[in-house]
Formats: sequence, structure tokens, C-alpha cells
Amino acid sequence: MNVPVMGLEHVYWGLPIVIYPYISGLVAGSFIVGSLSKVFGQKIFEPIAKLSLLVTLAFLLVAPLAPLSDARQPSRLLELYTRAHLPYSPLGLFTMIWTTYVLLVLVEVYFAFRQDNIRLGQVVPGWRGALYRFFALGSHDLSERAQRRDHALLVFLASAGILLAFAFHGYIGFVFGAIKARPLWSNPLMPVLFIVSAIVSGVALMILVYSVVWRYLSPERRTDPRIIEGLVSLLMWTIFIDLFLDAVDLLNSGVSAYASGPVFQGFSQIFMGGPLTFMYWGLQLGFLVLALALTFFRFVRRSALWASLAALLTVISVYAMRYNTVIGGQLQPKVSQGLILYTPPAFGRASVQVVIGLFAIVLFIFSLLVEFLPWEPLDSLLSSGAPTRGVESGASTPVKG
Amino acid sequence: MADEANHKNEEVSREHFVQDMAKAAVAVGVLGLALSDFPEKLKAATPAGDPSLDPQDNLSWEGWNQVQLQKRDGWQDWDRINDPGNLRRFHDNFGQITKLKPKHHYVMVMDLRKCTGCQTCTVSCKAENNIPVGVFRTWVDTYQTGGMRPDPQGSVVTDNGNYAPDVHMVSVPKMCNHCDNPPCVEVCPVKATYKREDGPVLVDPELCIGCGTCVNACPYGARYLNPVSHVADKCNLCVERIDVGLLPACVTSCVGRARIFGDLNDPSSEVSQLLGSSANSVLHPEFGTEPQVFYIGMSGEILSSDDPTVQHMVFTYTENSNSTVGVK
Repeated sequence: MNVPVMGLEHVYWGLPIVIYPYISGLVAGSFIVGSLSKVFGQKIFEPIAKLSLLVTLAFLLVAPLAPLSDARQPSRLLELYTRAHLPYSPLGLFTMIWTTYVLLVLVEVYFAFRQDNIRLGQVVPGWRGALYRFFALGSHDLSERAQRRDHALLVFLASAGILLAFAFHGYIGFVFGAIKARPLWSNPLMPVLFIVSAIVSGVALMILVYSVVWRYLSPERRTDPRIIEGLVSLLMWTIFIDLFLDAVDLLNSGVSAYASGPVFQGFSQIFMGGPLTFMYWGLQLGFLVLALALTFFRFVRRSALWASLAALLTVISVYAMRYNTVIGGQLQPKVSQGLILYTPPAFGRASVQVVIGLFAIVLFIFSLLVEFLPWEPLDSLLSSGAPTRGVESGASTPVKG
Repeated sequence: MADEANHKNEEVSREHFVQDMAKAAVAVGVLGLALSDFPEKLKAATPAGDPSLDPQDNLSWEGWNQVQLQKRDGWQDWDRINDPGNLRRFHDNFGQITKLKPKHHYVMVMDLRKCTGCQTCTVSCKAENNIPVGVFRTWVDTYQTGGMRPDPQGSVVTDNGNYAPDVHMVSVPKMCNHCDNPPCVEVCPVKATYKREDGPVLVDPELCIGCGTCVNACPYGARYLNPVSHVADKCNLCVERIDVGLLPACVTSCVGRARIFGDLNDPSSEVSQLLGSSANSVLHPEFGTEPQVFYIGMSGEILSSDDPTVQHMVFTYTENSNSTVGVK
């Protein structure tokens, strides 16, 4: 910050606010993937249900750090609870939805892993066994009745969680949609756009995570092409919806005859020959169309590598969508003329460094969760004979409940 | 003996440990200095990027570092400064305010017929409220409206006929409109900003978390994040002055008496008389914010549109110095 940027009109919401809906979208999307087998009866996704739950938890815990790192007085965060402005402030209500969501996901993680933790706690020696017994929170009940109760609870939690995921991410869309001072944000389509792109990014993320984790960390050391195919076809349909909404948005803001004056003015100046032209047409739309085209091919749908490529394109496209929304909306001045120019700083407050840090925290939490919670199907883990998770080869078969 | 030796060993190893830790701490410190922007700050001390102009680098600017001025000195007691009479505060449901019939309703009238665009109000506001470099609570925008009009007698001769210039310079003093329906107050997640029952929209700097939602939510660009105090900041109608019966600093200093401040609930006040006798308007009436800063003699081309093809902004303090306007 050698030369101070003068003037009142700034990009006051910087890169962390781009990451905030991005991470929240990954939360909502991965949670919905994890709920597919429980709520929608898609049994082929059962093996990745637990893994998606861990992805959800890792991103969910970090989601509020992004806006906090952008706030100038983050140490006053407790005021968000003690002085919550409900239900008028979008950010205030977001805090409450996030808190509820964290509690729900923690309860769901407990019940999803309860049986496996009990079984592993019985066969694994040492501190790992103690850890599994701790995660079971003193529960020993492996009876049929307890299993049925677990399943019923999980179905309920997953259904409630999907509603919360929609509220959680739709509300982030509303944080922007509620600001009528920014013509490009004040758009009733915003919550829907955010939710659909959240599901798109969550499915793509699960393709990436599944490919890496199952290939390198699971007992089988290989991915299941049926799961890849299922996820890719889900990705295809959600991208269809997302592109449809993008087209509606484009028609309503990029065509002067259909859009209101300030909206068209801002959209055309920023995205049609303006500073974010490539970000919009190249990354947000181009990469998404490319990913969609890739999902049509049979070899992409069955190969973890190609599916990962399509997923990577999708994840980048959704990031570009968040950037175009958050930063693009603020490039249009409210009282002066011309366009505000913005280059994200590399270091310091609201910089690329902060973004890297946020993702590093996500990765750290996710690594801990993957290391200490039995996300892989227990039978394959125990029969593989590999000395993973502290299960010694030739360990006694687990006690059947 | 053995015990003593052990003890000694322990002590020696502890010493070593402490030494190692100290070395590590120094190494980390040096590394941190090398990685921090310390060298950049040294480089920044050139005339081109004068750090003394940067409020973030130079906290001594205009006494912002006078942290020793505490509540007992009458400085940091924001409850008393912002609201000495313990008036009712509203964070939402602003419709109630009129129903509760408050004693005063303070408004500002800008008589554009008298504004010369001299920016005295801008300067006096900065002096009164100690506003850091680069941000403003009030400012005067200067527009050029109109254009060339076809006129057979016109002095500008072209191949397509004669034209005469029909352009106007309009100076528009702007500040927080202290709206009766302020969107900025409603979006605050921690109820740090509020509308006082007698009109002013205020920020409590000890509660604000600096999230910037209100800054984005203000359609008039009247809020900013203070680069020194790191909270949302805006025009407060000089509450500390009006509460003791003085006029706001910008009103006192206005050379043409273009700014008039007063109580709309008092029918004999100057603002009531003026607004009753002259046609007036507010900025962006279409937003439904019900601004309480009224303009007399406002050009309709400036009122609601920010279209550069209709109005040409000659001068403004609001434009970011890093913008396409500077390029043109």
C-alpha cells in the first residue's frame, strides 16, 4: 500500500468475501451429495456419504472465517450473537443459520460414525482405540434396534440438513440480493443462482475428493467407476440448470431492452469489454460449457482422471462466478462515474495470502478428520488386512451387533 | 552423587534448550522481518509514495494516535457523544418513529441556487470531525449538464448547421441523507448503527465490527470504512454540536448560506419555511429511502440518473483514484 487509494468508492468487500460464498457453496453442495443415498435413495452413493460429511464439516467450520477475516474488527465477533439483529440483517441471520448447521452436522457426524467407532474401539489397541471409544461418547449399543434408530435419525438429519443447506447458501445469495444500492446484486435470482452453483461446485468437489481419497487413501486403492459415473451424470444435470439460470441472468442484465438502465450499464461496462470480460465469458461460462461437453463422453464418465478434469473446470468456473458477483458488483460506482478498478493484493488484509490461508485451514481440518474418523466402509477396511487405522492384520473379527 | 549428576545434566540440557529456543526465536524473528513488508515500507519512503499521506502508515496524522484521550476526558464516551439526551434508537421498523411523535425532526436543505462549489463545507467537516486522508463525510460534486443545441443564430458553425452551447454547471453538495427509511441501518448484523428519533443516522464505533455491509448498502455512497479507526463511518450531522444548540460545521462555514439546517417539526424554522415555499427534491427518490436532505433548484438530469451520457461529472471526491475515469 505505497500510494493510498483515495476516494469514497472502494471495493470494500475483497477476496475473502469471494471465498465466503465459494466455501459455503462447497459446504451446501457436498452435504447434498452426502445426503443422496439417505434422502433420495441413491444407494450407489452410500460409500461416499461419510466422506462427503467430513468434507462438509471441514468447509463449514471455515466458512465464517472468510467474512471475519474481511471485517475490520473481527475481535468483536461475539456481538454477532449478543447483539444479533434478527431477522432484519442478512448477515445476522446467516450467523444463526450457520450455528444451527454446525450443530446439525456435528450430530450427524456422530451418528454416521457411531457404529464404526464402537466396532473399531473394540478391536483397535492403544491410543487409537481410545480415540474411537471417545468418538463413540460412551455408547456401546450395536443392537438391531439401535441401528434402525441411527438410520431413522440420519435420514431425518439429512433431510433437515438439505433444507438448512438451501437456507444457508440461499441466504448468502440474499446477503448480496438484499443490497439495492448495487444494481448488479439487487436481483431476486441471486439466492437461486447461488444454490444451484453451490450444488454444481459441491458435486465437482466430491468428484475430486473421491478420486484422490479413494485412489490414494482407501483400503482398495482404486476408485469405483460406477460412483464416478453417477457423480458425473449428476454434475451434468446440475450444470444444465446452472447454465439455464446463467442464461436468464444474462438476458435480464446484458440486453438493454430487457434490463433496467443501471443494471445494463454496469453489466455491459464490466462484463462486455470491461475488466471482467474474460472472467465472465471465459472462466464462468466457457469453463462450465467445456465441463458440460466433457461430461457427455463415455470415457470421461468412467475415468477418474477425466472426470477430475471436468470437475476442476467446474470448480474454477464457480469460483469465477463468485468473483464476478462479489467484485463485479462493486466495480460499478454508486455516485461517481466510470468504473472502479481492482487488483487483489498479494499480501496483507483481504489478500491472496488470506485465501491461501483459509484453504490451508480447510485442508488441515479435513486431513485430521480423514485421519481419525473411519470414513471408508468398515468391512473392506477390516478385510483388506492393511495396517491402516491401527487395525492390526489378523485382528479378531469385529463383534457383530 | 548420581542424583546430583542427573540434576546437573538436567540443568545443562535445560540451559541448552533455552539457548536453542532463543536462537530459534531470533531466527524466526529475522525470517519474519525478511518476509514482512518491512523492506517495502522502507522503499515506500520516497516522495512518490509519501507514507505520511497514508493514514494507515501514519497514525500520528491529526492526532489519531492520541489514545490517552479517554472517556473521562469526554472523548471516547460514544453513548454520551452520540446521544446525550438518551433519545430512542431505531435499528429497524422506522415507520414507528413518526407515530411516536418525536420532539424534533432535523433535516438539511441544500439551496443549489446559492452553492458555488467552493468545498468549504468539505474542509470544515474534515477539520471538525478529524476525517482521515482519502475519505469524506461531505463533499461537493460538480456536474456539467446540457449540451449543444441547434440554433440558426448559434456561434458554433458546422457542416450540419449552427449550434449554440446550452450547458450548465451544477454544484451538488452531498452527504449522508439521514434517510427516514435507511437501508444501511437495517442490514447491520450487530445493531451498531441506528437512527435516533430526532433524525440523525449514527454509528457506534465501539460496537461496529467493520463488516462493510452498510457501506455497500448505502445507495448514496455516504458511508466508508474509516482507515484509521477501522469501523464504518459517516456524516453524523455533527450531533455533538446540534445537541448543544450549535449548527453543523458545514452549515456554519457555508459561504453562500446554501446549507440550511433546522427542525422540520417547527413550522417557523427556516427549513420549514423554505421547503414550504420552494420546489424541492431529494436524491434518488425512486429508491424509497426517504432522504431527509432536500435540494432546492436541483437539475432533473442529476436527480436520479448516474448516466454519463446525460450528465458529465466534472469534479468529485467520491471517485476511486484507481478507476477508468483517471485513464480517460
